[in-house]
Amino acid sequence: MTDKLTSREAFAQFQRSASERWDALWQGEKLVVSVQVDSSSVAKGALQVLAACREVFRGTDAIVREVSGNGAMWMEPAVEIKRPGEPPIVYGWIEPGDVTSLLAGELRDRAVGVRGPNGFAGIPPLSEHPFFQHQHRIVMEEFGVIEPDSIEDAIARGAYGALAKVLFEMTAEEAIAEVTASGLRGRGGAGFPAGIKWESGRKARNRPKFVVVNSHEGEPNVYKDRRIHEGDPHKILEGMLISSVVCGADRAYNYIGGEYPLGIRRFRKAVADAEQLGLIGENILGTGRDVEVRVGTGGGAYICGEGSALMYSVMGVRGQPRTKPPRSVEEGLWKRPTILNNTETLAAVPAIINNGGEWFSQIGTATSAGTKMMTVQGPLKHVGLVETPMGVTLRTLIDGVWGGMREGHQFRGVQTGGVSAGPLTAEQLDYAVDFDSMTEVGGMLGSGGFVVFDQHVCPVDFARYLTAFNRVESCAKCTPCHRGNPALVEILDRIRLGGGSREDLSLMERTSKHIIDLSLCGLGQVAPMPLLGMMKMYPQDFLDHIENHVCAAGACPIATPVVLATAAD
Amino acid sequence: MEQSSPSVVGQIASDPALENGAHPTGDAIDLAEVRQILAQFHYRDFQEAQELILSALQEINEHYGWVSLPAAEVVAAHFGTTASRIYGLLTFYADFRTEPRGKHFMLLCHGMACYVMGSQRLIQHLEDDWGVADAGTTADGELTVQVVNGCLGVCDRAPICKLDADYIGDLTAEKLNDAIRTAIAGGGSWRDAHHPVVTGSFHDR
Ligand SMILES: Cc1cc2nc3c(=O)[nH]c(=O)nc-3n(C[C@H](O)[C@H](O)[C@H](O)COP(=O)(O)O)c2cc1C
Ligand code: SF4
Ligand code: FES
Repeated sequence: MTDKLTSREAFAQFQRSASERWDALWQGEKLVVSVQVDSSSVAKGALQVLAACREVFRGTDAIVREVSGNGAMWMEPAVEIKRPGEPPIVYGWIEPGDVTSLLAGELRDRAVGVRGPNGFAGIPPLSEHPFFQHQHRIVMEEFGVIEPDSIEDAIARGAYGALAKVLFEMTAEEAIAEVTASGLRGRGGAGFPAGIKWESGRKARNRPKFVVVNSHEGEPNVYKDRRIHEGDPHKILEGMLISSVVCGADRAYNYIGGEYPLGIRRFRKAVADAEQLGLIGENILGTGRDVEVRVGTGGGAYICGEGSALMYSVMGVRGQPRTKPPRSVEEGLWKRPTILNNTETLAAVPAIINNGGEWFSQIGTATSAGTKMMTVQGPLKHVGLVETPMGVTLRTLIDGVWGGMREGHQFRGVQTGGVSAGPLTAEQLDYAVDFDSMTEVGGMLGSGGFVVFDQHVCPVDFARYLTAFNRVESCAKCTPCHRGNPALVEILDRIRLGGGSREDLSLMERTSKHIIDLSLCGLGQVAPMPLLGMMKMYPQDFLDHIENHVCAAGACPIATPVVLATAAD
Repeated sequence: MEQSSPSVVGQIASDPALENGAHPTGDAIDLAEVRQILAQFHYRDFQEAQELILSALQEINEHYGWVSLPAAEVVAAHFGTTASRIYGLLTFYADFRTEPRGKHFMLLCHGMACYVMGSQRLIQHLEDDWGVADAGTTADGELTVQVVNGCLGVCDRAPICKLDADYIGDLTAEKLNDAIRTAIAGGGSWRDAHHPVVTGSFHDR
């Protein structure tokens, strides 16, 4: 490893040699094999594929790289092969035993596409595949391209260039103006404009000041933030550093829920390498600026994704939200001004600084600028992680990008907003996916996780699952949430068992209103939304359980003949 | 959070035969080793100490499969805090266990992909056929099951579980039975799959 870089010129020099090495890699005469390793492909044997490739090439001059997946979970484990004079070609569904024949040029039927603008030898470019066609990758640009463990790769592809720009060419006001002009809104669910938050953070006068990245991602419906850690940890780190520099923070934290060891390991490697290069720590690139970076982990409590709870968790106590004000930008971690952003929000910042706020604001819609990472779950053909411009319709996503329903599964609905909103039905798929459009029908973008469900899922049972999640994850600080959610689950169980009555429906509505109006934090305030949404979209299913004692999906344990559990039980 | 019963604390504290920190099942955590793990979580000031507690607990929990009360006391001493504070964390955060794991350890994903693909039925199946509920261990001590409310991140193969080192996707009740039987017959344990330190102090990179 080189010495610390202590000037802009030294950084530029490093950049130049990194990109020369990069170009030599791809234009050279060596075989380059890139195995896509991330938390989802590891589950399918990607590490064994990697080991098999290393074994085959032991003693040759071929280069075997460990990259991350490109989001297409449906074709994992995937391997990209670049032969001299040919473009890189991505092959899917590779098992360890396939490696020899793959390298011998067989298995052409597993070629999914060429990474690059043009096809090759009858293999189309990856970008023409429906899964990739609608995508616009900003945060995910380097997924599957760089080796996440190589800071040279990242720098060759432009990493830390925006940081240098902020340090050497821009004032803090100018940098914040770009973020404001970009229209970037928080990707953690609430959609708060990042520029406005940064401006208040910069103005806060107390010291020290902190930047915190919310990489908790404890929701059961989304897996995007961990993938940024696995695919391009440098984007997160650069976003953190830029935010710290322009807001005047002394320390930046990345708080990780704790359930993704590979992502944590790759992020810590990025931090260690960046520190060695003098990009973080004391006297960054010789500018006299100091930013310390720390990585914290939690322990699998969903509520710790809520801002104030997260800060308590960083401080090593139980993560229970507090009343606001004071807002965290005034009094956050250690009672000091704290600027909190979601991982994806920060990972979008380097591109905004490089290309200008105006550029970003032109992508997406007028009120929801830019791109958004979206994940899907359910019986679809092409399950995976994508990044599309805001404003794409649900139909395009579900039928186009994600390939439509698998054989034997009929679309029943799509749950939006995780555990915090309601479902949309087949008739509502033309809604645009952005921060505002779906709300009029009870849907929500949230953190971008969509859950498609079929005829085997019962809306009553699903409502019970979602409410039970909030019941278990309630931090038990305030009564409406702590006692109200169990009450809802109890009523839902009564209906599931075939003992519900019509009054139960209005009882659930009243209880929900109570929870929504009186809960302290965002968890309780939206906890009944999935239930209310299910009741609104699928009223007949609820009535069928109550009046006819049938669960059409066959998911509920309705007893026949009906054993009535009464409200008094 | 649903709290685990405080009776465990009482049991351990009141039984003189268990003074060495063993669980009623006979499992004990080597406290000297715990101190070695904690040595990697050194700190320079009060704030750093607080900020490292949860990561250290993660590490110990991952290493032994649980955190015993005596281990919690050692952690408390290392960070200059009280055992009750540590125990409060162990019972609040879902990842931590205050009971030993069985020989094999299963994370059964109950995230939304897994739910819509049938994980509810699998949870029921484990209860009916194996007599093991969430966070519980089979009577013969072979298998501990933890239901994960988050997402294991392999949604295209939902419903999925991680049994010791292996992921088993597209689960059905039969596939689950086979996997458990194979694991038990194979004789290994979750310890073979446990991962090394991923965090540590803020200064050793
Ligand atoms: C119960 C609850 C859970 C949350 N979980 C997360 C989370 O896992 N990740 C996240 O970034 N934001 C989460 N949030 C939102 C945060 O409170 C906060 O708004 C966000 O991190 C701010 O970053 P942003 O403006 O970049 O979105 C959660 C909020 C609530 C109420
Ligand atoms: S609403 Fe629920 S999660 Fe939020 S503070 Fe109250 S009890 Fe805790
Ligand atoms: S929900 Fe189970 S793997 Fe994602």
